Amino acid sequence: MEIEKLIGTAGGEFKDEALDALLRRARRRVDSALKHVRRPQAAVGVVQSPLGELLVAVTGRGIVLNHYLLNGRDLAATIESVRPQLDLVEDPSTVKQIGEEIRRYLAGEAKALRQNIELILAASPFQQKVLRKLQEVPRGAVVSYQGLGSAAGAPKGARAVGNAMHHNPVPIYVPCHRVIASDGGLGGYGGGAGRKLQLLRSEGFALGNGDVKLPHSSVWGHRGSKIYCRANCRTTARVDRSRVWFFAGPDHARHAGFRPCKICRPDSAEL
Amino acid sequence: MARSNLPLPVPFEEIMSRHERGVMRFLLRVSKDREDAADLFQETWLRAYRAYPRLDPERDVRPWLYAIALNLCRNRARDGVRREQVITAVGNEKLPVDGSGKVYRTITENDGYAVVHLHQLMSALPAKQREALHLRYFAGLDYAEIAAAMDCSQQSARANVSQAMRKLKSIW
Repeated sequence: MEIEKLIGTAGGEFKDEALDALLRRARRRVDSALKHVRRPQAAVGVVQSPLGELLVAVTGRGIVLNHYLLNGRDLAATIESVRPQLDLVEDPSTVKQIGEEIRRYLAGEAKALRQNIELILAASPFQQKVLRKLQEVPRGAVVSYQGLGSAAGAPKGARAVGNAMHHNPVPIYVPCHRVIASDGGLGGYGGGAGRKLQLLRSEGFALGNGDVKLPHSSVWGHRGSKIYCRANCRTTARVDRSRVWFFAGPDHARHAGFRPCKICRPDSAEL
Repeated sequence: MARSNLPLPVPFEEIMSRHERGVMRFLLRVSKDREDAADLFQETWLRAYRAYPRLDPERDVRPWLYAIALNLCRNRARDGVRREQVITAVGNEKLPVDGSGKVYRTITENDGYAVVHLHQLMSALPAKQREALHLRYFAGLDYAEIAAAMDCSQQSARANVSQAMRKLKSIW
């Protein structure tokens, strides 16, 4: 008795045509059910930029990932880490524009970077909030970790802000390079301090290679009063530092809608 | 400008079109009912889609997929959503029984009935042996794949299948 043969024929009552018809019907059901659980689709690719290789992902709603590729293993690990949120499709032509935008931005074109940014890869609601607040900091200004924490409703959360910067999924576009230490030290950067310097320099800060402090030419802008002062103005001694943006110079502060202080007259020539 | 050939996972659509036929056939043969199979088919692919990001890209997709299907079959049987149905292709004629209580059949006599009878015998097997047998003969998995799908060693996959076969042959 060929029982193996018999098992092979078990289910033979479902002929190929019947199976095909059933499959078509079932496939339609699966597709409509999947619609509700689908992850957003993202075009992904590696782009070359003046700041090095970047892994970029773009959905229909904006850029979601812009990751510095610092070593060989980084690529696979990063792809693995974003898979739970995104369905990745390789598309070099879509992401190529990002490299071009970054090149133009570093060359001084202020509006080169696209504005539609989606923060779906932020690790937590708090980090998402911090990154949103950070988007308000204009080009030519920097904010302290503590200041950004206050703006996001966590005045004691400077460390947590640092953590959020470390996990920023879209650096450059969400300007985590514009966050520095409260004492004016430049702080660290996920892509390395050199890249932070390069970005800040392109935004108007007079920084040399190896500088670790904000330059003396920068002015303090108070976000409440919309007044900007020199760093050595007597008013800065008692100002709430968490509400200060540090601008690269008076021009940048004026451009952001601030007026000069009448005591220290930051617009006058002598410093 | 952009480098190609990223280490991206295989698109899910591709996995689906490659395996949907096999999965459907497997579910049909295990559940023996079109509606059940269609339900299980949908649930299998939904679960697979949700779990796909967690699948190690190094791991083989096929045993993983059949493990999902098998788990769903198991759940359905346990929950008793529908009672085990046996398609009675031909009427329930009595079988010749000898003194030992053994039932003898020949395949030439009535294939349809033989298959039904086989399903009855298979459903009496211990769960592990039955599942291993299903994966081996209904899904066509090899022993390494069965071991991966059932989360056991290759030896025990092989042992389960062969014990199931021996048992089936002895009561046939």
